[in-house]
Amino acid sequence: MSSVQTREAKRPLRLAVDIGGTFTDVAAFDESGDRLLFGKSLSTNATQLVEGIQHAVDGAGASFRDAYLFLHGSTVAINTLLERTGAKTALLVTRGFRDIYEIGRVNRPDAYNLFFGKHEPLVKRSFRFEVHERLRADGAVHLPLDEDQVRALAREIKTRDVEAVAILLLHSYRNPAHEQRVKEIVQEEMPDAFVSASHELSQEYREFERASTVAANAYIGPRVGTYLRQIEEHLAQRDFTGTFYAVQSTGGLFPVAHAREHCVRMLESGPAAGVIGTQAICEQLGLRDAIAFDMGGTTAKAGVIADGRPLTTGAALIGGYERALPIQISMMDIFEVGTGGGSIARVMEGNSLRVGPHSAGSLPGPACYGRGGTEPTVTDANLLLGRLDPDHFLGGEMKLDHAAAERAMRERVAAPLGLDAVQAAEGIIRIAITAMAHAVKGVTTERGLDAGSFAMVVYGGAGPLHASAIARELGIKRVLVPFSPGHFSAYGMLFGDLRYDYVRSCFEKLATAPFDQFEGIYRELEQQGRAAVASSEVHPEEIHVTRYADMRYVGQEHAVTVELPLALFAAQDRAGIKEQFDALHLTRYGTSAPKEPAEMVSLRATVTGLMRKPPRQALAKGDTVPVAGALQRRKDVFFRDTGGFVATPVYTRTALLAGNQIAGPALIEEHASTTVLAPTDELTVDPFGNLDIAIGGRK
Amino acid sequence: MNKHDLDPITVEIIRNGVLAVTEEMKTNLMRTAYNLIIYEALDFTVGLFTAKGETVSIGLGLPMFIRGMAETVKAMIARYGLDNIEPGDILVTNDAYITGSHLNHMTFALPVFHNRELIAFTCCMAHWIDVGGTIGGATTDIYSEGLQVPILKYRKAGVVNQDLLDIIGINVRIPERALGDLRAQITAVTTGERRFLELVNRYGKDNVLGSIAVIMDHSEAVARAGTRSIPDGIYTAESFMDDDGLDIGRRIPIQVKVEVRGEEMTVDLSEVSRQVRGYFNSGVTTGHACAQVAYKCLTTPTDYPVNDGAFRSLKAIVPMGRVISAERPAPMRWWMTFPMTVIDTVFKALADAIPERVIAGHHADLCLGTFHGISPFDGRFFIGSSGPLGGGWGAKHNEDGVSATVCINDGDTHNGPTEQLEAKYPLLVEQVALRPDSGGAGKQRGGLGTEVIIQALGGMGVDTYIDRVHCKPWGLHGGHDGLGNGVELKLGKDWNAGLPNGKALSVRLKPGDALKLQAGGGGGFGDPKERDPSKVAHDVTEGYVTPQAAREHYGVALDAAGAVDVAATKTLRTKKIQAAE
Repeated sequence: MSSVQTREAKRPLRLAVDIGGTFTDVAAFDESGDRLLFGKSLSTNATQLVEGIQHAVDGAGASFRDAYLFLHGSTVAINTLLERTGAKTALLVTRGFRDIYEIGRVNRPDAYNLFFGKHEPLVKRSFRFEVHERLRADGAVHLPLDEDQVRALAREIKTRDVEAVAILLLHSYRNPAHEQRVKEIVQEEMPDAFVSASHELSQEYREFERASTVAANAYIGPRVGTYLRQIEEHLAQRDFTGTFYAVQSTGGLFPVAHAREHCVRMLESGPAAGVIGTQAICEQLGLRDAIAFDMGGTTAKAGVIADGRPLTTGAALIGGYERALPIQISMMDIFEVGTGGGSIARVMEGNSLRVGPHSAGSLPGPACYGRGGTEPTVTDANLLLGRLDPDHFLGGEMKLDHAAAERAMRERVAAPLGLDAVQAAEGIIRIAITAMAHAVKGVTTERGLDAGSFAMVVYGGAGPLHASAIARELGIKRVLVPFSPGHFSAYGMLFGDLRYDYVRSCFEKLATAPFDQFEGIYRELEQQGRAAVASSEVHPEEIHVTRYADMRYVGQEHAVTVELPLALFAAQDRAGIKEQFDALHLTRYGTSAPKEPAEMVSLRATVTGLMRKPPRQALAKGDTVPVAGALQRRKDVFFRDTGGFVATPVYTRTALLAGNQIAGPALIEEHASTTVLAPTDELTVDPFGNLDIAIGGRK
Repeated sequence: MNKHDLDPITVEIIRNGVLAVTEEMKTNLMRTAYNLIIYEALDFTVGLFTAKGETVSIGLGLPMFIRGMAETVKAMIARYGLDNIEPGDILVTNDAYITGSHLNHMTFALPVFHNRELIAFTCCMAHWIDVGGTIGGATTDIYSEGLQVPILKYRKAGVVNQDLLDIIGINVRIPERALGDLRAQITAVTTGERRFLELVNRYGKDNVLGSIAVIMDHSEAVARAGTRSIPDGIYTAESFMDDDGLDIGRRIPIQVKVEVRGEEMTVDLSEVSRQVRGYFNSGVTTGHACAQVAYKCLTTPTDYPVNDGAFRSLKAIVPMGRVISAERPAPMRWWMTFPMTVIDTVFKALADAIPERVIAGHHADLCLGTFHGISPFDGRFFIGSSGPLGGGWGAKHNEDGVSATVCINDGDTHNGPTEQLEAKYPLLVEQVALRPDSGGAGKQRGGLGTEVIIQALGGMGVDTYIDRVHCKPWGLHGGHDGLGNGVELKLGKDWNAGLPNGKALSVRLKPGDALKLQAGGGGGFGDPKERDPSKVAHDVTEGYVTPQAAREHYGVALDAAGAVDVAATKTLRTKKIQAAE
């Protein structure tokens, strides 16, 4: 521990870099001076990502030489998957099941569309091979593994320039022995290949989902590995001697060596880090429940902190429901809608107005960007309503073309609907607000949580523009806009903990469940986690273990994940565990059946190595009235409640001090974002620099 | 408020709102349901209806149930009269001749009141795993198919009808499952009520109901435009079903007539077969559903929510007594199979009129096996199904058919994972595979069907009710037919391919015996000789098409490396053309 402290004293920087779709963001915490540093650069094409990182780090005034910790989240994993630019991959499956990855779940959600599509496997059929072996559902060997056959197969595959091999054997969640042995043989024969077995990622039943998960991991593995290696090389060149951690889709950190093997755990690292940042704000302010709301150029995403912890899920569908590839690993539970600043508004047949999911992206971009966009977007609507300023966008670095926005709005939406441009703009915002409110409901009301009792932490470039209206739509009374909302995912990474998640399917009735055996399974999973954490270079302050069980009523299929307090489990308090399950079922779905027996489907363990957190960032204290220089000007802004444009004060965020109070209507501008304060809203700058907004005033 | 006073913004917001209501009903039903057919196969449908029983939004579910709930709500209104439906009521029925389907489809409807005014119904149909009646084998009337619940109040002014629950409890084989599913359905309709009332309270009743009227008008406009672009005319087509499961080998004729005049379409199903002795009948509601599903696919396929406005320009002629408008006491246990072929036949009828909008034939069957017995693992009775098989879909003018996807009766319906099937039942799945060469050859190839082989680990009864073994999924515009559906049994050592059809009734499997189920491939579209040879080579490389079929059907020769042999292909294709002339 002492050596670490010495090193940290010399190298005081904790540096986080988030590569998103449009921007690369840097947040750094300087522990010597209790300072936060931020930087931003454009994420250009994939080969220049490393340069982008360097630009952003330079921009923040930070240097790798001074950092003891480098934390990184990236879209490289998800983009490799969505853009189909991964490795030539082979899939080995149990004999008789070569086609399960292509057959999938056979569903046809686009039910009346004769031109429907379905998922496209990442591995072509001619690269899928059968392994002679078979386990039964209880893990017993039905047909022994034919090792010679596997070896011959590996030799054949090697001749076909395969770079990555995924292994999926039936019931490996019950008994991984065959998958382990197949992996060993393949590695012996193909020492340069990336090899991944399904049980290493998920020990949960459902063979298609596990196949899809392991295939995705293998497919992106080589490319993500190269990318991480490039960053490591760059870090070494820049005299970085600290530790490199990647961010997982749970928001947890893991060493880069683990990230290389389990790339698929990095898919949603940026969005997850935003939720971790929200959790950090909750801890600062003593909040138990909060919504994490992120709105960027193409999508809006909502996550939730309930009772102090982020809600996670055991699986997600990547890439649009109809053609999605399932990924069966722990992730932050995030609901996404295709509404962002660039979302295009269109009048459809029958004069109905739709907003999104088509996006103008950054090229041509919204009409007001003046880059050839002719269709009105959410950003154009905000400009016409006075909420964005043509001369102060991105700190004035980019002029917006008001006339182009108005023309697009008038010609494409207003005239066909018989409205004027401002009415049309206001309508587009209202529709966008309901769509985004739907995302928030997706993680709250649909999970049995009362959105109205949650605070909403808002970030992403476009989030603060719409937060007040979304909050009104949902009855949310408190909105918090953190310091530098445009860099919030990187900021959130600074608060990450080391984290390992494990799951194993079991299928036992609660009344007769073999708790002693479960204890053994939990210990085994936890031991793996403790060992992984212990192998990390930076020693966490404390290790936390949490146990969960996926439970359901006997006969149900879908299970809910119930946290099992260690004391309940140790006492084998079946009635107590059942009560926890009944209560959660009632919360989530509005019904429960306390008299019905329950069963346990999967055991989950999360091992967390708690990292020391950056201390609270305090903002200089000011009066209730902002300093004179904070008020920049007044401009006309449209508010529906006042029925028109109102002369509205515009403040500069960087000039605000703790304790300042502002009553709506007002705009608070900062470099990459504008916060809209509606009439009757009341804002206080809190001691940490958050804009703490009471929606509709403090009652 | 007059609907014309509503601004398009409010309407769009309400449109999203009603979609969210039925989406959440669906989510909550799925998440709390007890039987695999609901939670994995999604054999259910939830919906929101006007106070008159018109469809406002349907959460799929079963696409074929597009009509069933609306007609059931209307029948409930007729049975009690609006004055006798009060807050706190929940109505229920599984009357097959009202829902149009089988007795397993227990249907609950909840009247939604706002300030004591009835403003809507939420409704939920879900497939119960068992409703009593004969297990397996053939049924010959409705009485052998289980408990019939006429339209009743499950809950009257908040008080649950315990007598009804007791009657259900004593009539079904696994009462705790049935009552668990019942609870899930009640969750669905009450969720719908709560969310719809939130919408009404947020935006005002007049705005919400007015917007619903406008949304229906929108759908009507889209449907009319979609119909106007079809050339006027009378179009006919025919096909057949293999048999009714009793009179083996006696084909059941399916003839449809479609008339397009301006922006209206009439689908005349008068010449569809009379109702049959076997268990493949469905009610008149389903006859209308056939017309609606086909019409929606052709005119408003991606218009949501699914609502009755989209069908104002459609007329369906469905005389009573047809196999899709059967009358009591016709048996209806396997109601869903024949209507799918009726829909495909409508597409076939329009193949010349709108070739760019139709699709070649598909496997048109769930292709599942059902089994029951006493599990050797825990000594308990079990009853279950293999889940629907993915089959091949027809090719279209511009693209190949999709492989391994559920039939048109089913939408967001999932198959059962093998790992789950084997954990729950004494079964060992030997194979789950695509069927090479099952997709009909064509300029655009039909999708591939699939095959499963399931071995019994204990003694059990098995039934299959699969059709379209003989009437294969047809090609269009010179495309070839796909392979049909199929069933084979291994009793003892050898596979017995001797079944005359796809109906293996009341078969007893011993440990080690096995069942093979095959879903057919889709029909091809266009002349296979016009298919790009490189696409054929790709299909051969991937094993979708065998080299022999590439030669025989496509006239494409490949070299040893699998690449197109251009000269040999030219010769083959020329010969084929000459042979055809």
